[in-house]
Amino acid sequence: MDNSAGDHSAGTGVVAAGIRRSFGSVEAVRRMDFTAPAGEVTALIGPNGSGKTTLLLILASLLAPDAGSVRINGYDPVANPLEVRAGIGWMPDTLGTWGSLTAREILVTVAGLYGIERSVAGVRAAGLLETVHLTDFADKPARVFSRGQQQRLSLARALIHDPSVLLLDEPASGLDPGSRVDLRALLRRLADEGKTVVVSSHVLSELDEMVDGAVFVARGETVKTQSLADAGAQERWYSIRSLNTGSLLRQVDELRIPYRQRGGADRPEVQVRLAGETAAAQLLRSLVQADVAVTAFAPAGGALEETYMSLDADRR
Amino acid sequence: MSTQALSPEARTLGYWTGVRTVFALEIKQRLRSRGWYVLLVVWFVVIGLVAALTALSSSAAMGPQGPVLYELMVGFILFFGLLLAPALSANAVNGDRAAGTLAILQITLLRPGQILAGKWLASWVASMGFLVASLPFLLWALALGGVEPLSAVVAVVMLGVELGIVCAVGVGMSALAARPLFSIVVTYMLVALLGLGTLITFGLSSFLTIETVKASSSTSYSYGSNGVEEYSCSGPLTDVSVARTERIAWILAANPFVVVADSIPTAPVRDENGFSTTGVMEGISTLVRQAQAGPEHTMPCLNGEAGNTGELDVPPIWPLGLGLQGALAALLVLLGRRRLRTPVRSLTAGTRIA
Repeated sequence: MDNSAGDHSAGTGVVAAGIRRSFGSVEAVRRMDFTAPAGEVTALIGPNGSGKTTLLLILASLLAPDAGSVRINGYDPVANPLEVRAGIGWMPDTLGTWGSLTAREILVTVAGLYGIERSVAGVRAAGLLETVHLTDFADKPARVFSRGQQQRLSLARALIHDPSVLLLDEPASGLDPGSRVDLRALLRRLADEGKTVVVSSHVLSELDEMVDGAVFVARGETVKTQSLADAGAQERWYSIRSLNTGSLLRQVDELRIPYRQRGGADRPEVQVRLAGETAAAQLLRSLVQADVAVTAFAPAGGALEETYMSLDADRR
Repeated sequence: MSTQALSPEARTLGYWTGVRTVFALEIKQRLRSRGWYVLLVVWFVVIGLVAALTALSSSAAMGPQGPVLYELMVGFILFFGLLLAPALSANAVNGDRAAGTLAILQITLLRPGQILAGKWLASWVASMGFLVASLPFLLWALALGGVEPLSAVVAVVMLGVELGIVCAVGVGMSALAARPLFSIVVTYMLVALLGLGTLITFGLSSFLTIETVKASSSTSYSYGSNGVEEYSCSGPLTDVSVARTERIAWILAANPFVVVADSIPTAPVRDENGFSTTGVMEGISTLVRQAQAGPEHTMPCLNGEAGNTGELDVPPIWPLGLGLQGALAALLVLLGRRRLRTPVRSLTAGTRIA
């Protein structure tokens, strides 16, 4: 991708550079750079209070940055908020719904606020309710929805005007496993359609499976920008299980690979530090050739988790 | 999801489409809350009781009952309406903010003015529901006779206008203040300022306008052939202290009761025995017009001349009152609109955007 931070002429996606924002004496965002190209799912990852929500509010044209430049589809949210809003779908972390309105009414109302005709809005609302599996609840008041259902309704609301940029703040929280799989598939599909998808989340293992790139933030600063290809190539822990842990350890020792032992006596596990996927494939081959009975061989955590933990280490 | 039907680039939201959508959203929520209906029933019962008591007590008096009952009803409806309208309007914006639904509106193509206009119209219409609930009693008073149809219509229209002004104050405050409790209390205080504060200010500042004038030491009056008081002045001129109320009468103009009372056209109605009755609103109007006229009109035998104390020839004061109240409401709404502008630059302490 050649969407560098200075390239505004591309006209698609999200580009933010040098963002700063403080609330009173609290510096929520100190120095953030964030790029999310069209056609990709970009994760925004960071611990609580690292400024993720503040950055998303700035990208969503609700909050003005104290300094820095933002371009959404080529538009500046401060100068052209309406142009930006026509193109973004935003799902906040705090859920607010009009409790006495039904799911369908909420979607049709919001569609109306984007200037979409009523007849078109009705069709569109029905389609989205289908997509988020709320068709059975379409005419029930939002008040009775469970948290997960409200979350799905909120996602449908964010999609009602077919935005080209999606900003989702913790979209998976409160969702059951089935809905999480659905969400992942939906976001992947939207990205493949050419939309820009920005997801902030804590559930890193899930992001692993759908994101193309990730931006790590901490203490209001961007600390690392990583594409999934980079993440695969980075040095990381792999966990190996064997029927005979003793012979596994001997073999690893012989190859002079750094390792540590994890798990209890009933589920012994050896974790090895490997330089990337090629190194992992090589080790597995040599273990099998040495007749070590390997039963499991996999990355110890997700690629993003690995990065997160390595960044997190200096937090303490 | 078909993308053909939607063309994001050409998407715009007309001003009135936006206002109408916000209005519909608000009204739907109000109509679906039980509280509004409970209040309506309470309102109906209270106004009904007031009407019944008034009718009972005024039937003992002489003269046509219609105007007395009607004007008292108008006064009570205005009083209760002033108590009710802040509760219906002053949490419109910050209540949404607390519920997390304001940002969902702000992220759409709505502009701040449209949000405020839609919410104001919705709270106004909701408070008009109470006016409609009191119409049966007003019609009852009309049926007793003696009330000019024009006066009746003007009174109802002005009640509606006053409710609209209070709702605008409430909605403006709700956009300005961070918490619903605060904006509701401040709106009540502003209503009290208009309803009571104007009276107190007028009363206290009338001392500042006291001047010494000359007037006959002895005055007497008799009723002329047409029933109007006629003064005869005698004796030497002496110094008398009077308040030049005409200079400060404008303070009273901002009072909602004065605005409504002063706008109702009155014509003295006499029954078959020649008795006329004065309703409470007409009484208020007369007092205000006397204050407007000042001592020249209200002080008999000023400078030894028997002045004309009959008809008061002063301009109606209610347009000024409406102007003052409207200016207050407009100021608050405009300030509130600035608070709703996004992207937000300075955030009120203790509030979140979403």
